[in-house]
Amino acid sequence: MLPPRARRFFRLPLRRRDQLAREVDDEITFHLEARAAQLVARHMSLDDARAEALRRFGDVDTARHTLNRSATRREARMHLRELVASSWQDVRYAARGIRRSPGFAAAVIVTLALGIGANATMFGVVDRLLLRTPAGVVAPDQVNRVYLTTSNGFQGLQLGSNQSYRRYLDIAQHVHTTSDVAAHFERERVFGLGEGAREERISMVSASFWPLIGVRPVIGRFFNASEDQLPQGAPVAVLGYGYWQSQFGGRRDVIGHNVRIGGTDYAIIGVTPPGFSGLSLQSVAAFIPLTAGAADLFSEFGPGVKWSEQYRVGWLQTIVRRKPGVSVQAATADLTNAFRQSIETQREVEPAGLLALERMNPQATLGSVLESRGPRRSQSATVSLWLMAVSGLVLLMACANVANLLIARALRRRREIAIRQAIGVSRGRLLAQLLTESTLLALLGGLAGVLVAHWGGALLRSVLLPDLDWSSGIFDHRVLLFAGVIALVAGLVTGLAPIRQLASTDVVTALRSGGRGTSLRSSRLRKALLVVQGAVSVVLLIGAGLFVRSFRNVRALDLGFQPEHVMTVGVTMRGTPMDSAQKIQLAQAMLERAVTLPGVVHASRGLTVPFSSEWTQPIVVPGVDSSRLRDLFYIVPGGADYLATMGTRLVSGRAITDADRVGSEPVAVLSQGAAQRIWPGLNPIGRCLKLGQDQPCMTVVGTAQDIRASFDDDPPLQVYVPIAQQPQPEVRLFIRTRGDAARSTETVRRALQEMMPGAAYVHADPLEDIVATEFRSWRLGATMFTIFGFLALLVAAVGLYSVVAYDVSQRTQELGVRVALGASAGKVIRLVLADGVRVVALGLLLGAMMALALASRVTPLLYHVSGRDPITYLFVVLVLMAVALAASLAPALRASRVDPNIALRAE
Amino acid sequence: MPDQLSLIKGTLDVLVLKTLSWGAMHGFEITSWLEDRSGGTLDVEDSALYQALHRLEDRGLVSAEWGMTENNRRARYYSLTRAGRSHLRAETTRWLRYTETVSDILGAATRTA
Repeated sequence: MLPPRARRFFRLPLRRRDQLAREVDDEITFHLEARAAQLVARHMSLDDARAEALRRFGDVDTARHTLNRSATRREARMHLRELVASSWQDVRYAARGIRRSPGFAAAVIVTLALGIGANATMFGVVDRLLLRTPAGVVAPDQVNRVYLTTSNGFQGLQLGSNQSYRRYLDIAQHVHTTSDVAAHFERERVFGLGEGAREERISMVSASFWPLIGVRPVIGRFFNASEDQLPQGAPVAVLGYGYWQSQFGGRRDVIGHNVRIGGTDYAIIGVTPPGFSGLSLQSVAAFIPLTAGAADLFSEFGPGVKWSEQYRVGWLQTIVRRKPGVSVQAATADLTNAFRQSIETQREVEPAGLLALERMNPQATLGSVLESRGPRRSQSATVSLWLMAVSGLVLLMACANVANLLIARALRRRREIAIRQAIGVSRGRLLAQLLTESTLLALLGGLAGVLVAHWGGALLRSVLLPDLDWSSGIFDHRVLLFAGVIALVAGLVTGLAPIRQLASTDVVTALRSGGRGTSLRSSRLRKALLVVQGAVSVVLLIGAGLFVRSFRNVRALDLGFQPEHVMTVGVTMRGTPMDSAQKIQLAQAMLERAVTLPGVVHASRGLTVPFSSEWTQPIVVPGVDSSRLRDLFYIVPGGADYLATMGTRLVSGRAITDADRVGSEPVAVLSQGAAQRIWPGLNPIGRCLKLGQDQPCMTVVGTAQDIRASFDDDPPLQVYVPIAQQPQPEVRLFIRTRGDAARSTETVRRALQEMMPGAAYVHADPLEDIVATEFRSWRLGATMFTIFGFLALLVAAVGLYSVVAYDVSQRTQELGVRVALGASAGKVIRLVLADGVRVVALGLLLGAMMALALASRVTPLLYHVSGRDPITYLFVVLVLMAVALAASLAPALRASRVDPNIALRAE
Repeated sequence: MPDQLSLIKGTLDVLVLKTLSWGAMHGFEITSWLEDRSGGTLDVEDSALYQALHRLEDRGLVSAEWGMTENNRRARYYSLTRAGRSHLRAETTRWLRYTETVSDILGAATRTA
């Protein structure tokens, strides 16, 4: 028998099972015959000798069986060893090949890294927003968020996720057979006192929340029903793991310590496990009883808000866990029934405005426990899903490119491969080697892609989705697994591309042609790949163009004020007693300090935050029919610089000045819309306006442009009045900064916090966070689509270049003949260019058609741009043609310089 | 055969290795060699020998290949591998030390008896 090494060397087939059995039989037979011969030589008769040989041998069948098994085992082990050895050989061979052509390897790895990185990044975001259930929730598929809808009789159903405490109690009381019910509410609250005071997110939850979720505390305990009772619960708090670690260093003796949240000290009774943040996507510092938190929170709104009694104070969210075996339908019916009963209860105490039950048509809907998943999916989530699809397209293009590169490389190596085939390397082994190479490349690409995702993810989360809790990282094992799987798939798919080529390689032809000459089929496949790439990049670039135009439309929209440059400052008193005069004095002092801060351009006192809080009042105008004034007028008290701070342009007359004081003539500035409503077509300056019948006349001294918050709403009717003439005991400032207001909030906050008496706490928020959250999804869409679009363009250009360049090198001889026959350089250039452009034109056509087909689905995501916007389409077509020309030009020029002598002599 | 020596379990393997230390042999040669050396006192069926041979091959202590006998018959020839040789050395040492100890004790016991 040959030693295994020799067999491997000569690639001899391994032995089959029946062959092994025959060898065992041969060995036994030989022994029996030899023994018989020995006995015969000792003068035994042949028959006796045979019988004696058998007797001495023992049980032949058992022996045969044992020997067979032993031989089979040895053979299998050898097989495995050879497989490992040959795989290892393949890997080493592939690594050698990669090292030998670093340019090719770099191109493949970078292309795949971009594709895989983009996908891993987007997967991380989508996973966070839509897929991953909140950590720590036991059997999350049984948990649902409850949405209650009613019809107001004429507007259709109003989807409501915010419910009142009374409603929650009613529902919890009426629903018990199908589900457990709990309520929660999240909010930023001020933690701590003095210098160390910080805003953190808290979750206020009903005691039933804990058993419903099923989470266990890492230390201490959770609160129970007796600690979550009206009127104000017990001041106990369960810390979030992250907050416990960062603020208390994870000390176990923290139990029993107090933590100041809002205006109350809470005793720490437990800590949640790591990663648990309730049902929030943001990290939660502490969980407190719903009743305790609400009592503290609503006390800031004044004694008028009876949160525990009024059905109209909607704030918390209800969740349910369906009992085992209860379907969503059954639970929905039960909850709807409970909701109807609750409305009937409400009718007894707050009948105002309630329609008949049939017209209200109360409905409960069970949604995913993830709020971002719907039923009303957030714009960010929708855009993220689109981007996930888009990044998939980028990966597709990257794979097409890599396949193209691999085909080109395989064709270049045809001679080498033919030689290997000629010396007897089997086709299977060749395929294994090629696949090993592409898989190795893809895994390297995947590794690099993970780095891309790491940086891309950091960028994405800091710039575009800042308020999510990423403490568990965008970069968790699910993302890694995802990247690994797509890398493997990409490696196998791209590795298969050149195999069709090689399978049809005729050894003799390949050896003779010296590795030149492209088969028609291979160039057709490569061009088909190019057409696909062209089409995909058209789709992506059109998408990018549409989003960029939407975003620019959104940004260019004149809101009448510039939220990006304005921040609003408010104070939470937290039990520090102050009378009205002191508050006004504090506000004035803060204003004087604020204007001295670096980067601050203007500042003004105010009362209401546009589109967030309001003071509306019917107004009275002598000589004007009051029916025309029934619309809501927004009274906006402000300081002298109010309009300048907000960036609202004065249209006529003058703005409010410091001279408009108590005692001077009462004045007002109207928004254009308000002036038009009261005195259509007339000049409002100098006319009189009253805030109530027995109030003094305010003289209109100017008009200002309208403001709007969202994009299609009517602008509010604004009446700007001097805050000095309408004294408000409210500490509210607006500050205009030179740059992005979001970047200066912390500096401003800290500077003003020093001036605070007692436990009072300063908040500074960019106005953009309050007013323009809608911008974010457009910004996300525009940014990511543009990045992906240009990635796609780059990938397509590289692909086109490599294909055209390769074709030219393959056609050197043909082109040489043409030149020898008198073709001019220009003609050769045109010939090559036409080839490249034809492919791209086909791709453009296909892509444009695909984009048109998708147009109706993107249109809802766009702003004032049609999904079939001709300018975008035209622009993209022009860009792509230009890129195609540029990519083909270099090889075309090279072709035109072909020396016919050299080209022909090479033959 | 009442005076035949029963093989202590495991010793057959060592004996086979020892036999093969003289050179490559087929199964029957090994049997005959062992019978010659022991004066026909090994109470072991021939099949046990083959099972031992294959066991040793499994463990990589011997290797086997087909060859031709002097009479031009195909036979499976076994030879020691490097691992087999060092195993034999170790086993021999261990065995000699063991028997020495046992005979010392038994000899001493006889004297005091």
